[in-house]
Amino acid sequence: MSGSYLARRLSSALFTIALIVVVNFILFRAMPGSPERVILRGTPNVTPAQLEAARERWGLNDPIFPISFEEAGVVVSADNQFFKFVGATVAGDLGYSFVARGQTVGDVLAQRIWPTVILFGLGELVAIVLGLALGAYTGWRRGGGVDLVGNGVSLVLYSTPYFLLGMALLLVFATGLRWFPTFGMLTAGVTYPDLGARLVDFLAHLALPLTTVSLGLVGQYAIVMRSSIVETLSDDYVTTARGMGLSEGRILRHHALPNALLPTVSLIAINLGYVVAGAITVEVVFNWPGLGTLAVEALTARDYPVLQGVFLLLSVSVVLANLVADLIYGLLDPRVRT
Amino acid sequence: MTTGAPAGSATSAGPATNSPGTAGERRPRTLPKQAVPGAPLLEVDDLRTYFALGSDTVRAVDGVSFRLDAGEALGIAGESGCGKTTTALSLVRLLPGNARIVGGAVRLYGIDLAAKSDTAIRRYRWREISIVFQGAMNALNPVTRVRDQVAEPIVERLGVGRRAANRRAGDLLELVGIPRARGSAYPHELSGGMRQRAMIAMALACDPAIVIGDEPTTALDVMVQAQILDLLERLRERLGLSLILITHDLSVIAETCDRVLIMYAGRVAEEGPVGEVFTRPRHPYTQKLLAAFPNIRADRRALDVIPGSPPDLRTPPPGCRFAPRCPAAMAVCSEVVPPDVRFADRVRVACHLYPEGSSGEPVPVAATP
Amino acid sequence: MTAADAAFGAPAPRGLAGSPIGLLVRLVRRPEGAFGALILAVFAVLAIAPELFVGPLQTAVTAPGTRLSPPSPEFPFGTDELRRDMLNLTVHGARVSMAIGLLATLVTVFIGAVVGIVAGFLGGRVDAILMRITDFFLVIPTFVLALILTPIIRDLVGSGSAQVLGIRMTLIVIVIVIGITSWSSTARIIRSQTLSLKERAFVDRARVIGAGGGHIMRRHILPNVINLIVANAVLVFAGAVLTETTLSFVGLGDPFQPSWGQLLEAARTVGAPGLGAWWYFVPPGVGIVLVVFAFTLVGGALDDLLNPKRRGRR
Repeated sequence: MSGSYLARRLSSALFTIALIVVVNFILFRAMPGSPERVILRGTPNVTPAQLEAARERWGLNDPIFPISFEEAGVVVSADNQFFKFVGATVAGDLGYSFVARGQTVGDVLAQRIWPTVILFGLGELVAIVLGLALGAYTGWRRGGGVDLVGNGVSLVLYSTPYFLLGMALLLVFATGLRWFPTFGMLTAGVTYPDLGARLVDFLAHLALPLTTVSLGLVGQYAIVMRSSIVETLSDDYVTTARGMGLSEGRILRHHALPNALLPTVSLIAINLGYVVAGAITVEVVFNWPGLGTLAVEALTARDYPVLQGVFLLLSVSVVLANLVADLIYGLLDPRVRT
Repeated sequence: MTTGAPAGSATSAGPATNSPGTAGERRPRTLPKQAVPGAPLLEVDDLRTYFALGSDTVRAVDGVSFRLDAGEALGIAGESGCGKTTTALSLVRLLPGNARIVGGAVRLYGIDLAAKSDTAIRRYRWREISIVFQGAMNALNPVTRVRDQVAEPIVERLGVGRRAANRRAGDLLELVGIPRARGSAYPHELSGGMRQRAMIAMALACDPAIVIGDEPTTALDVMVQAQILDLLERLRERLGLSLILITHDLSVIAETCDRVLIMYAGRVAEEGPVGEVFTRPRHPYTQKLLAAFPNIRADRRALDVIPGSPPDLRTPPPGCRFAPRCPAAMAVCSEVVPPDVRFADRVRVACHLYPEGSSGEPVPVAATP
Repeated sequence: MTAADAAFGAPAPRGLAGSPIGLLVRLVRRPEGAFGALILAVFAVLAIAPELFVGPLQTAVTAPGTRLSPPSPEFPFGTDELRRDMLNLTVHGARVSMAIGLLATLVTVFIGAVVGIVAGFLGGRVDAILMRITDFFLVIPTFVLALILTPIIRDLVGSGSAQVLGIRMTLIVIVIVIGITSWSSTARIIRSQTLSLKERAFVDRARVIGAGGGHIMRRHILPNVINLIVANAVLVFAGAVLTETTLSFVGLGDPFQPSWGQLLEAARTVGAPGLGAWWYFVPPGVGIVLVVFAFTLVGGALDDLLNPKRRGRR
């Protein structure tokens, strides 16, 4: 792959991440009563002297931006809050949680990241495989009974918020049929005889939220893939391939699919930002102890530093995922590589 | 192995038929199993192809007949929408979903392709007839290397191994004037002219008897056009190809073809050797068509335009379809479909000015009082 | 009609020009468009005057039923944990959800159209900067941003009981937040259209007679993108309803003016799925699905109408 394509995509991603940090900073300053609360971590009975000392330590008396307009004129200072914030963020210091005593935001995030990665990662994987297959099939065999049904189901799934799906699945399979537990990642207060038993319990808890995430995504991916395939059907090289007398299966696999994947990959990447919303709510429905429930807990408790930390983490992840998708696209489409 | 040969049908089985050999040699052709001995290469007999558009039926090709012999180049000419492309697509059955051959026969070596099922016809595609599409620049898969695309029909249809197929693909590319090394390029890395050549190489991959070129030079500039036509001519001589060239550009036909078929509104107006038809056009439409071509040597004068526009093929006029625009139209023209009349110089006309047994001079019928 | 026309469909009757009314008429001629429009019409009627159908919004004080009772002849949708009639809540919820959706759509489309037209028309550095910002908003998970912004803005604005168009300020904040976070895809679409319009002759003509940029943008570009804006607005509406629902679900709704999302949040808090109280979340849920589904149908049909390439192809 051409180096310049890689370089362009990389620099674009880095620029976006930089913007995210800037937005984070603005939010930090905009938080009601924020900087003081960050310092004090809810410590009661603070004296003005302690406050002032903390302010100094945190640089809150420094100018906010590198360039500021004082009475004395324009002041350029490297000693300012923005730089300090950026430096701290890059170093991984995201401040302290308002709620979790003594824990840094980093600590809190680290505790909750893996459940989300597992749930979301597996969900995406399943959805991509199933959705693309379904979309390719219905797109190729347009108009059949399967197509209409598949299309209709996909549209309905697309219109349904993930959490609603989750609640319905919970009702039917957990409450109703009692096949699965109703919340959490592991049953509380249980000691497991071995790793195997623990794994089984984990999988039982994972089943419903995973199904919800996958179902929510499958509809989208199927729709996108279907319309991509339909577009390629009217492309000239497909007609040529038919003219060559190639079998329908060969044409689908070697001509239509590689080309239909291109807009599909792009659209999947673009959608990642929206999918995060759904993932958060699914975690909430099933009380899955990941970043989603963390975000909502932080929201309810007005734990802004943690909220910001989640925002930073999720945004950067999405940007990186987009970068990966761009690179995959570059592998698939020789035209962008030059 | 031939993909697409349904079990139990008497189509040829192994790669022995039309085996590749070395590209670029004229070899005696092995006929398909079902071929009728002594039959002409291609015979189209009263072909009718209609489109379903909503509740209407568009009679795009409505009774077209012609014949193609081995080694001949036939040009099909006419204005946009006259049905020439539809005729070509009907030969290989690559029609859009709403089109259907509703009548007539397409006989390749006496085998009626029009009567074959969708799976049965695959056997004949590319191995007997191949087609180079209009705007062929986009007919190449953008994510596949050119050589692989040329090799694909060799692998899939002739059952040749990948190595040998790639070698033969390289040979074919050389044959059409593309250096072998360029075969590893992607289509977007080639110029328009080279892509057209690549398409031609692809069309030759399975050593077909007939190659159809649908407006093969329309989107190219004049210099490249000349090169492509020259290439087609050389290939024809060298490989003993038969060619059907579809175009609205009469100069292309004049240069490359032996015979010409003039179509109008889904029917054949006139057909015959290029020399005869172009120097002594008989059908009023042919005359108008030739006159409409600006002549670089003639005195400057206004373009001789044909007034009016082609008929709506959902409700074509009864009788001769050109009658509403024809300067020599008579009463009978809008009532009776003019019959095909053959002349001694092998020209065929469908016009009431030339009734059966006429001398070749127009015979106007007296208007009924 | 020639063979070429037959294969590819008759030429589109001025898909992009022509009035929005004409567009709507053509829309309902298609089955999916008519079906979607019908569903939306029903909900619009319910949303405009819910009191006509179920009376005023019930509160904990005026609640008539018993706690969390399943559907019965008296209460066809059952009751919630505050003993209120779910039918009453759901119909009023329609009003809140649709009103917020409508207002948010107006904000979103306004911002998106302005950014799109200005960026597309002016080009150059302005375009580059605006597109950078637009791409930023397209990439990041705007939902999380909305999550943070809403309480911040609420705390700043204060939670009085002021109302705009009958919607409480707490929910107006959501409207604004949705607008701030959702305008980017609209901007992109409008910008593309503006770019292609810019090349057309009538813009040059306007320039030649000395018309200024703003004038051209308003009088020439805007009328030609109106249809596109309308089609896009339909899909934006669907997205806005979904976003508001999700924001309410995570606790940013207003219990005094419950939207469908807020009802679902209440259902979750009470533990309705675990208790088997399906009637608590199914009616608002079905409402959401129907409305979004209808919008998507209509939006898709409009897109087909405006996109000449799709017509008549196999």
